[in-house]
Amino acid sequence: MMDVGRHPKINLLAYSEIEEITGYIGNFHVKVRKKARYVDEKACTACDECVKVCPVVMPDEHQLGLSTRKAIYMPFAQAVPASYLINMEDCLGNNPIACDKCAEVCDPKCIDFDQQDEFVEFDVGVAIVATGMYVCDPTILDEYRYTKYENVITSWEFEILTGPGYVTKGELLRPTDRKPPKNIAFIQCVGSRSEKRGNPYCSNICCMNTVKDTLFLKEHHPEIDCSVFYMDIRSFGKGYEELYKRSKAVGVKYIRGIPGDIVEDPKTKNLIVTVENTTTGKIEKHEFEMVVLSIGVIPRPETEQIQRALTLSKAPCGFLMETHYQLDPIDSPTGGVFLAGCCESPKDIKSSVIQASGAASRAETLLTTGKVKVEAITSTIIPDMCKACGICADACPYGSITVDRKAKTPAVVVEAACKGCGTCGAECRFDAIEMKHFTDRQIMAMIDAMFEEKPEEKICIFACNWCSYGGADLAGLSRMQYPPNGRIIRTMCSGRVDEKFIWHAFKKGAPVVLVSGCHFADCHYINANRWTQKRIEGMWNKLERKGIRPKRLQLEWISAAEAVKWTKVMHAVEDLRKTVTKEEIEETKKILSDKKKG
Amino acid sequence: MAEEVTFKCLRCGYEFKGTYDRKVPEERECPKCGSNSIRPLPKKKEK
Ligand code: SF4
Ligand code: SF4
Ligand code: SF4
Ligand SMILES: [Zn+2]
Repeated sequence: MMDVGRHPKINLLAYSEIEEITGYIGNFHVKVRKKARYVDEKACTACDECVKVCPVVMPDEHQLGLSTRKAIYMPFAQAVPASYLINMEDCLGNNPIACDKCAEVCDPKCIDFDQQDEFVEFDVGVAIVATGMYVCDPTILDEYRYTKYENVITSWEFEILTGPGYVTKGELLRPTDRKPPKNIAFIQCVGSRSEKRGNPYCSNICCMNTVKDTLFLKEHHPEIDCSVFYMDIRSFGKGYEELYKRSKAVGVKYIRGIPGDIVEDPKTKNLIVTVENTTTGKIEKHEFEMVVLSIGVIPRPETEQIQRALTLSKAPCGFLMETHYQLDPIDSPTGGVFLAGCCESPKDIKSSVIQASGAASRAETLLTTGKVKVEAITSTIIPDMCKACGICADACPYGSITVDRKAKTPAVVVEAACKGCGTCGAECRFDAIEMKHFTDRQIMAMIDAMFEEKPEEKICIFACNWCSYGGADLAGLSRMQYPPNGRIIRTMCSGRVDEKFIWHAFKKGAPVVLVSGCHFADCHYINANRWTQKRIEGMWNKLERKGIRPKRLQLEWISAAEAVKWTKVMHAVEDLRKTVTKEEIEETKKILSDKKKG
Repeated sequence: MAEEVTFKCLRCGYEFKGTYDRKVPEERECPKCGSNSIRPLPKKKEK
């Protein structure tokens, strides 16, 4: 961090928040709120004189309240810039100045009670998101009574209690009697790998963190007896299995089973842990002087703000979504925005460094090239038809359309940011959007051709390029057998499937129409398929109102790997097709060509 | 705003209750047949 702070080409904005990011790849405009520190960071020599005289003592947030700080303080020992700041909520007051002690002793005169938040604006070509992670709330597992028993601590607190910056200078003392514990237990997966409480995912780092903690303890306090309760130790990665073995070799006991209960002995303050040892199949009770809850990780709450500003998407686990988890794990779906570290998924330091280096070089490549390849498939507005309703701008997952609703000026597409999903085209009710490739005319012509002969035998299928079409392809390659009645129209995204395509298919005699796309978590265009779902839900109601069976319009989310699902769906829609008689098809055609009803 | 609705699977016909917010689309799956053609039935249509 020191290197970053000193680098002539890096402008570090610490103690700042992103207010707004607008623009697109190569042309982002960023507005940052630089919060008032009330201390001139350039003049501050970090002499610590102010801290000595400040009368206000507060819990130190950085040390999780296990230590204290003053109203004027350095956020943490290695902070860059190495400058103090005043927390005005804690300070005895600057209006009127009630104390002023820090200003009196400050030689370089850097205390400025009148300082205001400052707004800094600048343009950048690319952005790297590295908002990091936070930890799970241990109280969700109330059987561990984290808030009740002082000797139950979290792994984060353990880190602080054994760190050199803490008041005990790295000496592990148990909270109730300030004596080194004789034995200690670690409980794994607190807040992780649970569908019901906490998060369903594995937090990735807690197993190895515990292995590291046990080795640290055994090295500094070989007399402390350590036990680890676990489901399975996930020590994947270079050198990790060796560390785990070393931990076992130095006497750390690994007990397979997650405790169901912790009860404190009121006299000794020792903790009785009840666990089903899944190796022996027996219920056991163990007594410990301290218990460490190995808490899982979650995305930082502030990530949401950045996510909105950069139109990024979140995976169901809450971490930011990469373009492709295997093939494009650094790029975000928004052009010119890259992801580094735990904002994308829980990961260890090594993986974070790898991803950050990758993100830096992806950014560097773009900046030095100075050019971006735009998609061949983009949308174009027909200004004369546009009513400036703004629906397209709301629908675009990339924020690539701007509309001035008040001035009623036609919408404008930023081609460099458009990815060509076609959702805007499908949502525009005034036919004011034309796609380059996959045009309305092309798709309508495909439907016409499809139903020229024996329409009653055919199923009109819309499949998105990235997932469902891939699923169909894989089913074919895997020689899976399914009815051949489906006729596929490929669109880049299911978001492109305009209502009018579906109506047209029914008018032409389609017994069944299937719209298929990526699962929500996999949408290649961030969240364009949410618009598909809304559209189809609306169409089910319209179909019913018109007297057409809603089930003749089917919706399925099928990934490129789900050849089996594709096959199953094909059988299901074929079964459905068989229930649609020629008379029903003729009736539908009549309803839809009747001007009043259709 | 989220409301309690009846969902109907348009593949197998199975009906089940759940919360629905028109503005927040969710991926839904029929607990019986696994289909994603899950229609939130309009309120007045409920018996
Ligand atoms: S003015 Fe505020 S920050 Fe300065 S010494 Fe007094 S209480 Fe502390
Ligand atoms: S949805 Fe269509 S009419 Fe509305 S602003 Fe966009 S292009 Fe114009
Ligand atoms: S095609 Fe998709 S990405 Fe392009 S402007 Fe329309 S909605 Fe946005
Ligand atoms: Zn079903």
